[in-house]
Amino acid sequence: MRPQTYSNVADNSGARESMRIRVPGASNRQYASIGDMIVAVVREAVPNMPPKGSEVVRAVIARTRKGLNRDNGMAIRFDDNAAVAIDREGNPKGTRVFGPVARESRECHFAKTVSSAPEVLR
Amino acid sequence: MRLEKCWFCSSTIYPGHGMMYVRNDAKIFRFCRSKCHKNFKMKRNPRKVKWTKIYRKLHGKELPQDTTFELERKRNRPERYDRNVVEDTVKAMKKISETREEREAQTLANRMRGKKTQQRREDLAELQQGIHLVKAPTALLEEPSLTLPKEKMKVKVSVEQESKAMES
Repeated sequence: MRPQTYSNVADNSGARESMRIRVPGASNRQYASIGDMIVAVVREAVPNMPPKGSEVVRAVIARTRKGLNRDNGMAIRFDDNAAVAIDREGNPKGTRVFGPVARESRECHFAKTVSSAPEVLR
Repeated sequence: MRLEKCWFCSSTIYPGHGMMYVRNDAKIFRFCRSKCHKNFKMKRNPRKVKWTKIYRKLHGKELPQDTTFELERKRNRPERYDRNVVEDTVKAMKKISETREEREAQTLANRMRGKKTQQRREDLAELQQGIHLVKAPTALLEEPSLTLPKEKMKVKVSVEQESKAMES
């Protein structure tokens, strides 16, 4: 995911679509992949809920169309680009996560996010 | 490690090959190669695509339902390792694949039965219709040794050789 990439927000935090701004902690990092934390701006939000449009949030990437390559050689691709809104510590902002999540997110200290996912792809 | 089946063509996907596509409803589709993946993206139904195993089984080209396929059924319960079980399984795998090959050969033979005689009949008909391409009609009348083969198996050797040359 590059900057300016729109992604669906896969939880019920109130945001619907977000646009990636940056990857925190790296000055000029271009690409963020599944399991990376990103800084994003909320582009579209469910009305009357906390995140409003143009609010900056942190999120962890749950699915990408580009997918990832596993060690066993299997390549995994998802249907859309999706991220889950989190706070600074890595706890999810919403209470539910929608859609499948790749196991790689767990490895990057986002265990709480992954555990509320309906389906984790090993 | 598990050997999966391609969703489109039903061939085995070995490790290091293929691709997995996860839909947002968490349904997983595995493909053995990009050919299958591209067909899937074109929204083709594998039941209608002639080179897939599903089509062949559906249309009776291959052994559709057999007890030898039971061994390959997917089992989700992990087995505790037992050396004897492993040994027996390996032996069974060999025997079962042998019987399956025999049965598949039998299905093929059943499907192809009567093909030879039909082919022969078609060839004779073609020869009778097209003999003017090989020999002029007047030549046939002049030389009594040259005759067209009759419907039965008795055939003049020279004419048969000509038919082979024409067919090839």
